[in-house]
Amino acid sequence: MTQVSEGSYIGQNVPRSDGHAKVTGAMVYPSDVIVPGMMYGALLRSPYPHAEILSVDTTEAEKMGAVCLTYKDIEPIKYNERSVSIPAATYRDRTVLPDKARHFGEPLMAVAADTQELAYRAVRAIKVEYKVLPAVFEPEEAMKDGAPQLYDKIYLGDEEVAVHNNIGVIRNISEGDCEAGFAKADRIFQESFELGRIYHNQMETKCAVVKPEPDGSITVWATAQSIHANRQLLGRVLGMPLSRINVIKLPFGGAFGSSIQVNTVTPICAYLALKAGRPVKLVSAREEDFYSHQKYPAKFTVKMGVTNDGLITAAHVTALVDFGAHQVQPLPFLGCTAGWFASLYKYEGNIRFDGTAVYTNKTPCCAMQGYGNPQINFAIESMIDIISNEMGFSPVDLRLKNYRGVGDEFWGQGPTIRSIIKSCGVEQSLVEGRQMTDFDHRERPDTKTGDVRRGLGLARGFHCSGTGGPKEGEVIDYSSALVKINEDGSVDLLTPVTDHGGGTWDALRKICAEVLQVPLDLVGLSPAGTMQIGYDVCTHATRGVYCGGAAVYHVAMKVKEKLLEVAGRLMAEHAYNLEVVRSDGLHQGVVQVKDFPAKSMTIGDIAKQAQNMSWGTIAYTDSYRQRNCPPCFTTHFVEVEVDMRTGVITVPKVLIFGDCGNPMNPDLVKGQLVGSFNRGFGYTVFEQLPTNEATGELANKGLLVDYKTPSAMEMPPIKDVEVILCDTYEPTGPFGAKGIGEAALASVQAAISNAVYNAIGIRFHKLPLTPEAVLAAIREREAQSAGATPS
Amino acid sequence: MSKHTINLTVNGKRRTLDVQSNELLIDVLRDRLYLTGTKYGCGIAECGACTVLHGDRSVMSCLVPAVAADGWEITTSEGLAKDGELTPVQESFVNLGAIQCGFCTPGMVVTSTALLRENPDPDEAYVKDYLRGNFCRCTGYVAIVQAVLDAAGKMKGAAAT
Repeated sequence: MTQVSEGSYIGQNVPRSDGHAKVTGAMVYPSDVIVPGMMYGALLRSPYPHAEILSVDTTEAEKMGAVCLTYKDIEPIKYNERSVSIPAATYRDRTVLPDKARHFGEPLMAVAADTQELAYRAVRAIKVEYKVLPAVFEPEEAMKDGAPQLYDKIYLGDEEVAVHNNIGVIRNISEGDCEAGFAKADRIFQESFELGRIYHNQMETKCAVVKPEPDGSITVWATAQSIHANRQLLGRVLGMPLSRINVIKLPFGGAFGSSIQVNTVTPICAYLALKAGRPVKLVSAREEDFYSHQKYPAKFTVKMGVTNDGLITAAHVTALVDFGAHQVQPLPFLGCTAGWFASLYKYEGNIRFDGTAVYTNKTPCCAMQGYGNPQINFAIESMIDIISNEMGFSPVDLRLKNYRGVGDEFWGQGPTIRSIIKSCGVEQSLVEGRQMTDFDHRERPDTKTGDVRRGLGLARGFHCSGTGGPKEGEVIDYSSALVKINEDGSVDLLTPVTDHGGGTWDALRKICAEVLQVPLDLVGLSPAGTMQIGYDVCTHATRGVYCGGAAVYHVAMKVKEKLLEVAGRLMAEHAYNLEVVRSDGLHQGVVQVKDFPAKSMTIGDIAKQAQNMSWGTIAYTDSYRQRNCPPCFTTHFVEVEVDMRTGVITVPKVLIFGDCGNPMNPDLVKGQLVGSFNRGFGYTVFEQLPTNEATGELANKGLLVDYKTPSAMEMPPIKDVEVILCDTYEPTGPFGAKGIGEAALASVQAAISNAVYNAIGIRFHKLPLTPEAVLAAIREREAQSAGATPS
Repeated sequence: MSKHTINLTVNGKRRTLDVQSNELLIDVLRDRLYLTGTKYGCGIAECGACTVLHGDRSVMSCLVPAVAADGWEITTSEGLAKDGELTPVQESFVNLGAIQCGFCTPGMVVTSTALLRENPDPDEAYVKDYLRGNFCRCTGYVAIVQAVLDAAGKMKGAAAT
């Protein structure tokens, strides 16, 4: 797609247009929606990790004036909350409310009442008789014969599937010839890695407000990454035509994947509102939100073959994933994880991936910034560091020799979505970073002494930009837009794409302004609901700018075509002799004759004239599918300090390279990279979700006070957080842009862990590196060396 | 549950309200005065999204029973800008990319306002320490700390002229 014009907004730091509303508290988020006559919802959540519901008595709650909802009130339609994949690649195992509890904190019944307090009281008045069943929490246990079974059968597409030993999905993928590849290698390495569950901790808890309308339709405001996914699922479970469901797009308080699926509360809220015949608001308490969805944990074994000159000849990964009590799509999760693994290095084309995903009586797992990428990246990038250390390679050179770059194949979303890499900032990142950090002269860990030891580490990663490919695969990917020129030269832009805070909406406005050459402040982002605008699959997979932006580009180009045709009629010129340029003096877009700018009309005059001539509005709407999913690359150079007395890890300095193609707004891209570093630091050293296996309850009981994330205090000094955006241009992206969002996290964890190795010479295979874990490892090494010392 | 009549001044307006003894200030502000800039994030004063000013002091409204706020002068995020003109703190947040999803922003702006009233000349370490009670999952805090320091610089400059 074409280059940007001179003076373009693209690539400039423009303060975000929603900033004013956000700093003044005026911005309305779903949990802020207040509707006259609104009731408040509350949920009865399971006090057991696994139990049958024998009987329910809601009499007392109803006497209090509450509207009650149990599994008896809902259609037992089986669905998967996530609808990004095609139905044939989607397992279905849940209903709006269940007759059996499969994890602690699972919503079982719901009420709506005139006040929030009354709703909570009514929940406590519901009498439930349970038959408590044995529960299973670890995937290895769950797969054993005789383990408690969560399901007998589930559905894949329209087919019934029996579940054996709680195994939800097996996905084995191989290409090339791994055995031959390993045979060619001089050294074989095999290591295991483990990453536990963490929680999104998005600032706004999951919520919905549903309002029945006088015409029998419903209006829905919800924390949602896709308005259309919410509409389609509601239509299915409520048995309503989609034309009667308007899901309104709103900003919401952070996502990180937590709303990639339709949130559990949303269909419950809709059922409550329809039963009550009144608007209902259902907001999760933070303690409840912890039990809503969590990040997928993973256990990997990685085997790699390497020649003495540093060529990786084959790689084999086995993955074991516990995804909890419901499938929010471990099938594509395993496929994607295989793809991230396969696309990091070339491995001479010899790869094998054996993935197993297992039901347990834990909270369901869903996407969380990277969809398996941070997990497998930690394993692979730790392996590269191990191999470099063991064989004496420079970690930079080993990566440069083996990475997949321009011209190589990239699996953007598992094995069915592949495209060819056309832009790549890997070499720039590694070469510049090596010089800036003096990486080749870092000291070996065994030369370091003292109570506080400093280390420098490196890791690289990427993510896809969207899930488009030359051929359709198992993932749906297209977006829509509507662009309309108003009679004063301003422009209305409607997009179904949600913005999670990264600035996607401003990027889309910039693309529209650039195509039509109108001042940015004249492009208005119109309110949009599912009744007003075509489909967009979801803001996920780092696709907002690359895919959503491409739809805006495509539609704006069609509008420009119409504009020039209308202008040609008015100016007695052929459309192909006309061009649009932005006039900051007139504060208008201007259509002028090429090479004769004196003959011109403002876009406002053209639109007004077209109206006066009754020629119609200059507008267009369409959908558009990207046919690539280019990788956006990141590289992290991290310095750590490890306190040998306390086990505390701090980060005094970080250098981050981001390759997002041509950045729409460099400040906002950098903000995503810095924010992701903070979250990655939390993932690496703080965050964990241990379960009390006696009760099935989280050890922190869902309380934020016992779920520590890094604060401002844990970040390096401002001057020592450096972000460099690579000098790349993606030919298939709107004005050269790719994504950045999920890539920004991928390599943080391994970079920190590799730096810790360089500081203290201890390799960690399991996250998080809490002070307790670090101290234990230091003590173990001391004990070993004491034992090894001859007396 | 007993009822109480309380008097509050919120963003310069005097309000008289009947509240239940277990009603929280955050719910009074959000559900009864429709000041939804004050956000719910955790309900246990761990995240700071519900921060408001009580005089010049920042308090987390999720832990304050409304009856305890009787007689308070409260400023919420909605009451900081005067006549549509942003305060230096708000302006710096917008200009320096200190906002992403924006859900923590009102509380962050209110806390930063209290910070600068308490110490008009903070250094980076002071700002980081002061903001440790305000949780942001998006930004990684760097741009926020920069915005507070930037606002302090502007305010000092304005005071000097």
